[in-house]
Amino acid sequence: MLSRVASNLYWLSRYLERSDGILRILKINYASSQDALHEFSWRPLIQIYHSPNEEIINKIEFNSRDVLQYMITGRDNPNSIINIITLARENARSVQDHLTKDLWQCLNEYYHLVKDKRLIATLKKGDPVSVLDELIKQVMLYYGIAEVTMERGEGRSFMNIGKYLERSIQSTDILDVKFKTANSDPDLLTGTSYLRYLLLSLGAYDLYLKTYRQGFDPENVLELVVLNNDFPRSVMYSVNNIHRYFERLKHNKDIIESKELSFMIGRLQSTIKYSTVASITNRGLHPYLSQVKKDLFGIGNALDLNYFAYA
Amino acid sequence: MNELDFLKQYSPTPNTWDEMFSSSSDIRAPYQKVIDYLSTESAESLTKKEELAKNLFMSQGITFTVYNSGEGVEKIFPFDIIPRIITAQDWNFIEIGIKQRLKALNTFLKDIYSNMFIVKDGIVPADIIYSCPHFLREMYNVKVPHDIYVHIAGIDLIRDFDGTYYVLEDNLRTPSGVSYMLENREITKRLFPDLLPQCKVRSVTQYPEILYKNLMAISPRQISHPTIVLLSPGSYNSAYFEHTTLARLMGVELVEGRDLLVENHKVYMKTTNGRQQVDVIYRRVDDEYLDPLVFNPDSILGVAGIMSAYKKGNVAIVNAVGNGVADDKAIYSYVPQMIKYYLNEEPLLKNVPTFQLGNKEEKEYVFSNIQNMVVKRTNGSGGYGMLMGHVATDEEIHDYQAEINKDPRQFIAQPTISLSAAPCFINKALHPRRIDLRPFALCGPDGIEIVPGGLTRVALKEGSLVVNSSQGGGSKDTWVLAS
Repeated sequence: MLSRVASNLYWLSRYLERSDGILRILKINYASSQDALHEFSWRPLIQIYHSPNEEIINKIEFNSRDVLQYMITGRDNPNSIINIITLARENARSVQDHLTKDLWQCLNEYYHLVKDKRLIATLKKGDPVSVLDELIKQVMLYYGIAEVTMERGEGRSFMNIGKYLERSIQSTDILDVKFKTANSDPDLLTGTSYLRYLLLSLGAYDLYLKTYRQGFDPENVLELVVLNNDFPRSVMYSVNNIHRYFERLKHNKDIIESKELSFMIGRLQSTIKYSTVASITNRGLHPYLSQVKKDLFGIGNALDLNYFAYA
Repeated sequence: MNELDFLKQYSPTPNTWDEMFSSSSDIRAPYQKVIDYLSTESAESLTKKEELAKNLFMSQGITFTVYNSGEGVEKIFPFDIIPRIITAQDWNFIEIGIKQRLKALNTFLKDIYSNMFIVKDGIVPADIIYSCPHFLREMYNVKVPHDIYVHIAGIDLIRDFDGTYYVLEDNLRTPSGVSYMLENREITKRLFPDLLPQCKVRSVTQYPEILYKNLMAISPRQISHPTIVLLSPGSYNSAYFEHTTLARLMGVELVEGRDLLVENHKVYMKTTNGRQQVDVIYRRVDDEYLDPLVFNPDSILGVAGIMSAYKKGNVAIVNAVGNGVADDKAIYSYVPQMIKYYLNEEPLLKNVPTFQLGNKEEKEYVFSNIQNMVVKRTNGSGGYGMLMGHVATDEEIHDYQAEINKDPRQFIAQPTISLSAAPCFINKALHPRRIDLRPFALCGPDGIEIVPGGLTRVALKEGSLVVNSSQGGGSKDTWVLAS
């Protein structure tokens, strides 16, 4: 496979996963904002994906509709859905012959949907949840089509590495930001709604109830989101999948760079596997998550250098 | 009932061959079934079909992007839903005519880049060859696989007022539009269910298989799976959709210049698994951008050193480099002589009479009859830089003549041919619009094959004679009927 093609597929997949994460967290935070007794601040969420200057945050942080527009159709926000999907589509456009026609068509429709006038009008004036639902449905369609139609080859492996790398970074980020906010305002954790919305935004709510069957406990949330291998958005599950799809590539390249990457992935996998809630809290959640993130970025950079550097 | 709405209102353009109507009320027989079908529909339902076609093009990304004000605007190549029909008899004539012409043109290229017999025998003047910017000395005595220069040709045909076919130009470099031939057909299947089989329309879907077979056959390495790539200038090229479609349909790798490198006179592509040698390149990059070491040194679309690999015979390039000398508009007028010279046959397809402005007498004749002339640059394309004598103002003519006098060799003139017209569905009614036809011919070691169909281009502006997409042209599905 051409290095350029591998790189495009990987980035296409990262952008799609990112858009999925953003849409879900927006939906839950919007619901939470409608439920809030005090003024609901979007500040932490905006900061997960992008750090605009204070002026912008101050202007919009308490206005849900402004934030939604900024996050979905905002041209000046590099991680707005419209900018992400445009980039994803540009990546896909030049590797169309490596995607199935169905998948390319789906991406196209996603792109045209975000630019749809009716949708933009609803976002401004109507029910934002229906807009978010429509967009989420399009991403779901993308995942379904990718799963059903894509060849089980190298291309899909690169796509999945991108997907799980992006997912693990997002889960780590969300956890980090949410617990940081809770640390500075411990009252948040005494009520149930803060953790409930955190779980909901990661799609972890149902699984949490089934697994723990009792009230919301920060340590259990931590265990589920970082260590539980049955939860598809957990860091453990994502890193295991990065490992899995990287190993599928590996037979192609038995050279030093490949071994180095394999080592990096394996080390991160073991670090998480042999962590416990106790060991994480002992070390401090924030330093722990920061290290995980640093390792994930390291893997991304090594991929870039060893597999995608074609120029 | 609705036939009234559609057909009574239609008035064919005077002094023009109308493809569907032999007079304002008589329908040509091959179109009868189409008219029967259309007359069961209302203008509204046809408008809906038009919408459906637009949506299909959009959602499948069959678009080209116009970049202005920082944001890319997606446009579709306008498509008219009414098909254009070619009878089995006409097609048979077109097919043998094009085969004859291509055989002569291919022989001409081999001759020009080796012995130059045709110049030595005084059939084509040497200065016409040497003054052609597309004549590449680098190609002299380069052996190309199976002596095939023109692997893919798009010969543009037009019909005069009496329905006679003429060759307007030969496109022997990187003719485009074949993806629209394929996509238009797919769209028509959706718009008019069952109509294609009822009319016994021949299929065009075999095009990619034939092309792939030919590309395989010219691989310099005799191995079971040669690496074939399609070299594109990249996703900002207006024909990018076509490049991806062809790569996908043939299952070959779509590459850009930056994906390739040359080492030791061999071409490789950069893969995640190291380098992989490339055997055949179907390039959609023009000669002058192909190799910065030989041609335009500023080009980043090409591959440094690719010409050396080509000359050594380590890679096959499709179409061959230097073909522009054969489809140059000044050479065009010598094609009938070529056919006689190389094949000892009478040309079947007619040339449009062409005046060389490099010739003094012909130039004077053209200047005094400029109202009836179309003047073109010999190396121009896309409908740019033309003078349409019958609509130009005196000032435009004056300026253009000054331009011609600077370098007359760069211009030719042809009497204005009216171009046949076909009904198009525009604003809920049928209107006549001028059309041409570009069939696609594929040449391989087994001979020349022409897929029954082609691209019918339409001048969508009322009264316009210019069908190029860059000048507001669109296209129609082109049906070739089985006998």
